[in-house]
Amino acid sequence: MTGAEFSGVDIDLLADYIGGALEGTPDESAVATLIAEDPDWREAYESLSGGVTLVQSELGRLEPEPMPADLAARLDGMFSAPALTLVKGDAAAPTAEPAGRRRRWVTPIAIAAGFIAFVGFGADYLAGTSNDTQSDESASSTAGGGSADQAMSAPSEVILATGTNYTRATLATEPASSLASSGKASPPAMGAAEADRSRIALEDPALTRLSAPAALQECFEAIERENAGGVIGVQTVDFARFDGVSALIVRFTAENGDWVWAVGADCGTRPAGADEFDKVPVR
Amino acid sequence: MNTGDGPDNAGTSDAELLRAHVDGDREAFGELVRRHRDRLWAVALRTIGDREEAADAVQDALLSAHRNAARFRGDSAVTTWLHRIVVNASLDRIRRRQAHPTVPLPDGSRSDDRPSGVEPAAPVTDHETSLLVRQALADLPADQRAAIVLVDVQGYPVAEAAEILDVAVGTIKSRCARGRARMALALGELRGRDSGHPRSGNQDAPETVPSGPGTAQPPPGRNERRDQR
Repeated sequence: MTGAEFSGVDIDLLADYIGGALEGTPDESAVATLIAEDPDWREAYESLSGGVTLVQSELGRLEPEPMPADLAARLDGMFSAPALTLVKGDAAAPTAEPAGRRRRWVTPIAIAAGFIAFVGFGADYLAGTSNDTQSDESASSTAGGGSADQAMSAPSEVILATGTNYTRATLATEPASSLASSGKASPPAMGAAEADRSRIALEDPALTRLSAPAALQECFEAIERENAGGVIGVQTVDFARFDGVSALIVRFTAENGDWVWAVGADCGTRPAGADEFDKVPVR
Repeated sequence: MNTGDGPDNAGTSDAELLRAHVDGDREAFGELVRRHRDRLWAVALRTIGDREEAADAVQDALLSAHRNAARFRGDSAVTTWLHRIVVNASLDRIRRRQAHPTVPLPDGSRSDDRPSGVEPAAPVTDHETSLLVRQALADLPADQRAAIVLVDVQGYPVAEAAEILDVAVGTIKSRCARGRARMALALGELRGRDSGHPRSGNQDAPETVPSGPGTAQPPPGRNERRDQR
């Protein structure tokens, strides 16, 4: 604010007077006296009053700005409660579920060197689900919707919720319920139908956000960026703890080797990045 | 006005939704967000002035609210509480930008306290005036800008703006008054123009905390921003 044209006038004090901020204070009558007796104050008052009224009018006319659809959709994904399920495929939204089959999701992770790599993640939480069914689904997913590149880089990952309290010494240890290869069995920790996400929330509310596919994907992307070893292929994700703190244990392969990262509940958010607690190579 | 947490058309109040979320209802918080997201977004966007940063601020704020819902004591309306978290997240981002200045663009247009540019599309009519107003708003100190966004742009009563920003009512009045004066001086060329537009904003609003739940309806029009609260 320049206010140079109102020499000798305390513009902030005058503004307070005009805006009613001095009501009931001694300054109110003091400013009123100045306006009545001092031509400079009177001129400034008359000029500023009109300007302030116009500003308020213009501010009130600013058009409403609805939330962008992509952000609204992101928030819907974060705070809605679809069951975390097998993810794999060719779109960023759930696909229609064939009768008798589980839904599949697609999670694009990275676009690099001219091809798109997809990292699926999933949890076969249907108790007693046959191994063959999942294998069939994986096969049909690859064959049905994905490109060759997608098929090459679309291993099936497993999501676990063991609640294990890892330490740096045990971080590289294969989760007890981990699968030798995805699609061969159901993770024991995820036995209840349509309950995995809520179960994660109940067992560790701090990790609720990451139980949403979109948030988990953002976490993967953050890890991929910070790992700086090219596209990562996530093998297992364990909703667990690290040194007593809520953590996601992510095992993945990349050009710089096989790794296990322990990341915090803010993984994938802009300020936190991967929110890495610790990481160890897998030998 | 009601308390801000009264039932909506579906019969569920904001407070009931928040309570349900704390009790484990997986849909409740999402519904709460859907009710208020447009207003929360508008406050963040106008305060920060950068769409990407505003989106991050809203997301971070809602995640924080989601996690800390159990700490909500009901001393204020749920909407006030949500707005407070979003405004704080927005101001934090501005302060962070000040603490870690970015490299200026070649045209030197970015400062660390003010939005990086004039935000979103202005109405077709009075486009130039709208741009000038937005730029003048963007040039204000962050505290004054936040107060003006709440009171003059979004139409919140002074008392609720004070509650949202956790300052005294007199402080809000002063921040708004001084901010408007700065803008008036900056927009000197606007003086004398026909101001036939109906006066809006909230300068005459009663200093009571508004009530009523948020709504899943579209954002209110320019002169009815408070009607849905």
